[in-house]
Amino acid sequence: MRKLLKRPDVGVIFGCIFLFALFSIWNPRQWFDPSTISNISQYTAILGLLAIGQTFVILVREIDLSVGSVYGMVGITFAGLENSNVSVVVSFIVAMLFAVVIGLVNAIVVVRGKLSSMIVTLGGLFFYRGLIYVTTHGGVTGVPEAARSDWFAQLLGGHFLWAENGFLLLLLLGFICALLLYEMRFGNHLLSVGGDPDSAASQGIPVDRIKTIAFCLSSCFAGLSAIVTLANQPETSVSLGTGMELESIAAVVVGGTLLTGGKGTILGTILGAFFFTAVRAQMIALGAPPSWYVSFVGIALLVVVTINTILSKRLRSI
Amino acid sequence: MIKQVPLRLLAGIFALCFPLVGAVFAQSDHYRFVMVSHIGSSDANMNWLTSSMKTFEEKYPGVKTEYLSTNDSNLQSFIAILNQAIATHPDGIAVPILNSQALEPILSRAISSGIPVVAFNIPDSRPEGERIPYLTYVGGDEYLTGLKLGEHAIELANAGKAPKPVKVVCANHDATHQGLKARVRGMTEAMKKIGVSTDELIIGADPAKARSVLQSYLSSHKDVNYIFCVASWTAPWAYNVADQMGLKPKLADKGMTIMTVDDSPDALQGIKDGKVLECNSQGFWLQGYLPMEVLYFYKKMGMYPLKDVITGPVVIDESNVDNWIKFVKNIVGEEGYKKQNTW
Repeated sequence: MRKLLKRPDVGVIFGCIFLFALFSIWNPRQWFDPSTISNISQYTAILGLLAIGQTFVILVREIDLSVGSVYGMVGITFAGLENSNVSVVVSFIVAMLFAVVIGLVNAIVVVRGKLSSMIVTLGGLFFYRGLIYVTTHGGVTGVPEAARSDWFAQLLGGHFLWAENGFLLLLLLGFICALLLYEMRFGNHLLSVGGDPDSAASQGIPVDRIKTIAFCLSSCFAGLSAIVTLANQPETSVSLGTGMELESIAAVVVGGTLLTGGKGTILGTILGAFFFTAVRAQMIALGAPPSWYVSFVGIALLVVVTINTILSKRLRSI
Repeated sequence: MIKQVPLRLLAGIFALCFPLVGAVFAQSDHYRFVMVSHIGSSDANMNWLTSSMKTFEEKYPGVKTEYLSTNDSNLQSFIAILNQAIATHPDGIAVPILNSQALEPILSRAISSGIPVVAFNIPDSRPEGERIPYLTYVGGDEYLTGLKLGEHAIELANAGKAPKPVKVVCANHDATHQGLKARVRGMTEAMKKIGVSTDELIIGADPAKARSVLQSYLSSHKDVNYIFCVASWTAPWAYNVADQMGLKPKLADKGMTIMTVDDSPDALQGIKDGKVLECNSQGFWLQGYLPMEVLYFYKKMGMYPLKDVITGPVVIDESNVDNWIKFVKNIVGEEGYKKQNTW
């Protein structure tokens, strides 16, 4: 129990348990409705994948504000290739390679140029969104039916029994990333770089390489999230991914990862994405005034982060 | 109202006469007019405006037009490019009044420094006398757009061509857009006449989030049987959500019914395929062309329409959609139509 209480994600774990219990008692019929489960799990998958990538970057004391536009750019590239009759697997590989290149560019400018990641990725946010506008002229055709029925698209966007495949993918990748972070040398290096980069460098840890991998992972997860979205729901738009960068950061912060780097968990990030999605969905479903739910979600996030901070401080002094 | 109709008619005649008179005046007058817009390259409607401005330039070779735009309705970025445009001292500006209070000091300053201003697409919605002193407004009436679409839906329902509205949700992707709010107000007003209530739901611009928000709303508001998408590109998302929830959105005398706005390929193809009940045209081509002519004749002769020039709405449904598809294809081309159709 003491070990659990010392986890950085303790706030969101209790927050999610409380939320689950609250909605189960308040409106069980609505909360356990298959349509609600499908809706919440699908959006949790989209936001969760995006936020896992963001977690890696935040853990090394950086931030990636470009993920919303990268999500849009990679998604539209994937949809564009599908409309040119390229096979789904090839489209996926090309789109993901594009994501890697974007991550690499972000990392090189930040690491080699010694520039603030906030500024660099903010530039990326505008640049990639602008690129979408220029290349599409405002019109983006959705993923065609034939491509959606392909086995690979179904693997990413279909469902297995009651569960959305995107959500199962989130759990699988979340598990792998947690192993990577806490059971492997790369994770150890990553947390060291985030904790104290100078000390990490003095111990021979390749700080620049670790940061570069973190940025590439962030872009890859953003791209994967977009492809999961489009494999599930084919209609797209040039606004794909608008505002997602802030939601991903909110999910990471709610999940207990410190913005100062070095401390955080993948489980917390996934729960943060779930918390964010569930609060919004249920606020609307439970009859919060439709124009006000945005403010309610903001208040709920603030409450969780405050509780998390207070708990961490108290437990540290025990 | 009795006074207003002839004045609007006069304004219309005035607007229609401009192209004829234009040929006479089409000499080498070196003016530079700037259209500052919130309709950017992310919005297919930009093609209407830029194409009509090109036609204007061809007709008045000495006049140069420039189109500056943001890619959303974000007020801060819009104000920034408006200020930039004013700083270049153009001979005239056409601008949508995204927010009357915010734009008033900027435009009043421009007007008092001798730059004539024409409002287009979105007017200053305040009562006459309190408005920004622009020359005139050229564009659709956003309130009328909502009102006419609502009234037409009721007519179709009464004729048995659509379900009787029980409750309407207006799916709005941008809570700060005055024009979209006016569309919602118009729809609300139309539905109120038959005792039907409406909700405005802020869905956001990202498709995944918008679908999630709409699905949450519909799952707990089982009485809603009409969705009014205040932007046509959100109509396919709404249709898909309703379809997946088993709400039978394909047009019939029962189930969910989708209404939207504009004469974009998304809206027109939706009607053609029986997925959307109706949409409207607000005369985008005229909204690009006429403000330039108003500015031209103001600079040249000091004349301008004394009343707003209302270019829409014209309601489009299955009875006239084929003609509109042909018309739109003439402007954007077959390939452009296909590309802008996201169904």
